[in-house]
Amino acid sequence: MNKDVDIIHRLLDGELSEEEKRDILSKIDSDPVLKNELKEIEKTIHIAKNSDRLIAPASFTSDVMRRLPARKESYVKEVRDFFFKGRVLRWNMATALAVACLMIIVFAGIFQFQKKNNLVQYANTTSGESTITVRINFHAPEAKKVAIAGDFNKWKVDENILKRQDNGIWTIEIPLKPGAYNYMFVVDGKVWMTDPNAELYQDDGFGFKNSVLKVTKL
Amino acid sequence: MQSEEYSIIKQCMDGNAEIYAILVERYKNMVYNIAYRMLGDTEAANDIAQESFISAYVALKDFKRGAKFSSWLCSITINKCRDYLRSRKDNIPIDEIAETTIFKIPTPEDTVYKRQIGQGLQTALNELPEDYREVIVLKYIEWLDYKEMENILGVNVNALKVRTYRGRELLKELLKERGIIDE
Repeated sequence: MNKDVDIIHRLLDGELSEEEKRDILSKIDSDPVLKNELKEIEKTIHIAKNSDRLIAPASFTSDVMRRLPARKESYVKEVRDFFFKGRVLRWNMATALAVACLMIIVFAGIFQFQKKNNLVQYANTTSGESTITVRINFHAPEAKKVAIAGDFNKWKVDENILKRQDNGIWTIEIPLKPGAYNYMFVVDGKVWMTDPNAELYQDDGFGFKNSVLKVTKL
Repeated sequence: MQSEEYSIIKQCMDGNAEIYAILVERYKNMVYNIAYRMLGDTEAANDIAQESFISAYVALKDFKRGAKFSSWLCSITINKCRDYLRSRKDNIPIDEIAETTIFKIPTPEDTVYKRQIGQGLQTALNELPEDYREVIVLKYIEWLDYKEMENILGVNVNALKVRTYRGRELLKELLKERGIIDE
């Protein structure tokens, strides 16, 4: 590609300074070969840009969905199932007593922990089903909108919106059944943030951490 | 990346495969067009486009948050096209790949003329070296900017500009040979 043709390409991409632009335009004006070169490149671009767009076959999406391989259950689900899937246990009184003692210690620990954490949980009964209302706080004084997305709302970003308090803390109360839930905050509808005060964290599969909220019977 | 798409990907990762259909519907024409313009064959384009979506689904765990899903998907599609073209070159003699349609000099009258230009463009694209074809397809068929092309092809913007200038210079010559552009 000779130098002038190269400059014509840069001209078409808006890459030239005002001075370079003036020079090449005056050169083009006095040289019919360069004028023709410019016309032909413009026409080439025009043809490519205005070519028809094809529409994928009508069955495309259903064909893809049918061919998707069964996904190995996610790590999150495996962990959830490990903890919450129903099991038949064989037990005796000694084991039961040991478990009871352990539970008392664990619950006492959780109670202490929750007092330090920004979570507040209290029990309530709605339409015959026991849920625990969990209050979650998030400090984001610069944010204009904060939502929480997680397992409990199918990761929808506009279902649970936090309310701003005067001190830059955003708060929401959510009734949840006992269990463990992965969640993240969504700030201003686009930035996903991990809760710095979460009880636990879990790899989200994208190189970041989900916050984990454990809701226990009170 | 849009929050909504990140949310969809998270749900897919969590075992809700059905929701992936939203992303397939949203990007199927883009992927199909890229595959068609790269391969010049609707049947192969359909196969490669479907395989691109399936590979993307399998690799969702490798998707980096903050990236743009459509760029990542384009990148997978381009790689699939390269693999396909490489395997086709191994199996079919070169002279059977090029020039699959005979063209007449167009008369500027009706849609026949437009169709002939479209076919002429595709045959010319088929003859462009692959790396030139990729930049022409992304820049002028998909209207992407150099920055997005850099993310898709992993080639820096300056090198892409040079490649684009050479690609359209060569495309111009091929269109002239076919009488699509008057001498």
